[in-house]
Amino acid sequence: MSRADWRSTLDRLVDASAAERIIISVTSLLFAIVVGAVLVFVSGFVADCPDPFIYFPGAGYGCYNPLEVYWTMLDGSFGSWNDLGQTLQETTLLLFTGLSVAVAFRAGLFNIGTQGQMILGALATALVVLHLGELVPDNVFGTLLVIPTGIVVGAIVGGFWGMIPGLMKAYADAHEVITTIMLNFVAIGIAFWLVQVHVGDLTTDSVQTESIPAVARLPPTIGGSRFSVVALVGALLVAVGVYLLYTRTVIGYDLRTSGLQESAAEYAGVDAKRNIVTSMTLSGALGGIAGAIYVTMVQYRWQAGIPPLGFDGIAVSILAGNNPIGVIPAALLFGSLKSGSLAINLTLGVPNELVEVLRGLIILFIAMPEFFRMVGKHFGFGSDPTAVAADGGDRS
Amino acid sequence: MRATVSELSRRQGLAIGAILFGLLALGLFVDGGRQLLGDVTGVISTSYLASAFRLTVPIAFAAMGGIFAEKTGVINIGLEGLLIIGAFGAIASMYALTATPIGANAWVALLLAVAASTFVALLFAIVCIEFKADQIIAGLAVWLIALGFAPFASIIIWNRTNSPSVGTFSTVSIPGLSSLPGIGSLFVATPPVFLLILAVPFSWYLLNHTTFGMWIEASGEDPKSLDTAGIDVRKVRYAGVILSGIYCGIGGAGLALNTGQFVGSGDTMVDGRGWIGLTAYLIGNYNPVGAFLASFLFAGLDALQLQLQQIAGYSVSSTLVGIIPYVAVLVVLTFVGRTRMPSAAGEHYESDE
Repeated sequence: MSRADWRSTLDRLVDASAAERIIISVTSLLFAIVVGAVLVFVSGFVADCPDPFIYFPGAGYGCYNPLEVYWTMLDGSFGSWNDLGQTLQETTLLLFTGLSVAVAFRAGLFNIGTQGQMILGALATALVVLHLGELVPDNVFGTLLVIPTGIVVGAIVGGFWGMIPGLMKAYADAHEVITTIMLNFVAIGIAFWLVQVHVGDLTTDSVQTESIPAVARLPPTIGGSRFSVVALVGALLVAVGVYLLYTRTVIGYDLRTSGLQESAAEYAGVDAKRNIVTSMTLSGALGGIAGAIYVTMVQYRWQAGIPPLGFDGIAVSILAGNNPIGVIPAALLFGSLKSGSLAINLTLGVPNELVEVLRGLIILFIAMPEFFRMVGKHFGFGSDPTAVAADGGDRS
Repeated sequence: MRATVSELSRRQGLAIGAILFGLLALGLFVDGGRQLLGDVTGVISTSYLASAFRLTVPIAFAAMGGIFAEKTGVINIGLEGLLIIGAFGAIASMYALTATPIGANAWVALLLAVAASTFVALLFAIVCIEFKADQIIAGLAVWLIALGFAPFASIIIWNRTNSPSVGTFSTVSIPGLSSLPGIGSLFVATPPVFLLILAVPFSWYLLNHTTFGMWIEASGEDPKSLDTAGIDVRKVRYAGVILSGIYCGIGGAGLALNTGQFVGSGDTMVDGRGWIGLTAYLIGNYNPVGAFLASFLFAGLDALQLQLQQIAGYSVSSTLVGIIPYVAVLVVLTFVGRTRMPSAAGEHYESDE
């Protein structure tokens, strides 16, 4: 097949499955919400509370009303300017980690290593802006110099960490699922050790760097939150950029084919090995940027125990069907779940770990399109739609 | 496509070389390597070995469970999640049992933990086999659900992410052997350690010398011919995944019933042991004995690091020791080439009937 044939085949596959993907994603989400509701309702009978909302003879008192839990979650993520800021802050970070996972997925590569790439990128950014911040004037020009530099450094270090599994996949045939998981642990260990023993704030017991100077902080935009609209706009532009790269350019096309059909890509005259490395590097760079934004917008320092944004990114990307534009609503959804989880904990005493359970459930349901197809068939929907790989791939 | 002996020894030699190199590098980080070497050899004693065995339990059980699932053709990267369910299930059962006539019995708690972990593994199997889910994504989901659910349930039950202390397994001594001079203390251990020592040869025998082991091998390598021979590939795969649930249940319960507490904060008390189990069977090349040896090596390093900090006052960074297994796997995967996965692993099998 010529390159053009491949391209049209791929495009057709992507287009054909787009509608189905959206249906699967939305249904999976609904199923996860229903299962989550059942979990909350049942656990309410185990928990203790002063005024239960329901009594079942035999089962006792139920503490949690699932509808109230979800309503509180929604209210807690959009109910006030502060909440909105919190939600958008999470959304911005998830956009970057989601795109990081999606970029690899588009090439048929499974990057579970975004977390590690983000952690090392965040550390590099923190160290660079700490030192650079002392040298520049404390005004807007200083900020314009320091923050972009910090982000670039974060991207380089994250990209480097993503390049390693790329190289191992392309030239040693080591499976990227295994290597990226391993590299997460290595990244966490190295960063922790570096900060604890060498580059951290040695005056405190906690494993953290010093706080970055004001000049290196993204300006907060809404209410009392640290959300910066600059970062969100940047993330949206990157999403659109990635989308255009993969749909409108030859490079993007080559990247897509290389991981999917290495031999076919080679046959069509594409250097598949190099493209696998490029995809993973690009993916890692986006993870590194997520770390840079985390440091300059949220934590204002590197601190051990960086939240699992990289793993949330996997959920975001899978929910989005690995479509860079789809990542935007998916990131918003997970962003609001995250900020809403604080509210259910404070207001209702429902453990905010519920959101992590929901995240897992959403991933689980999306992994099984066959289940929905069978349910759909049972109720007489659809005429046996073509099979779609749940893992993102245009593999099917 | 069996790995030849030379390939095996090359792989394991490289892994051991990488680990020794890592240790050497660590020695340089601390202070004069010679001093360290002296202290390391001083630390090796029967009590050290006993604690290394204890630390091996969750890793080796997870590893052997992973082997069974993957050999049948289902890659189970949810091992970590299954260990978490096992650990939480054991402590929650102990806690709940105190209010029953049975009382807090560690053996019953172990059984309940195994039941919980097996139940989750069964769900995973259904999702992968019946609904043809992507095994990697579903495995990831198992891990993430367990990682969220265990602390969630801890808070519901105990109002905090860490459980209160419950009873533990009491140590058992093997009559006769335990009174041997010198090595006697090796024969005084908690039941999970003995279970592990029984499970390794059992698993090896099951895989290599029984018909069931042949089915497992065929299900992962060549499901088509297994099907032709009249064996239901689906059932074999269910068996493999369920075995991984049973093993992880024992491993997780063994871990938790050792300290008598479930720690749900951070990465939970399982703290990556499931992932180390995965690395262990990759280094052990899908052989239960190899997986056990790799697990023992990693657990031994962990125990060494703990002891060095206590005895010699070294500030050996536990995080650096902790990354050795992962680096070892990266080295093996890169320089020894691809892990020889069962050729049908990760693929769905559809019978033609």
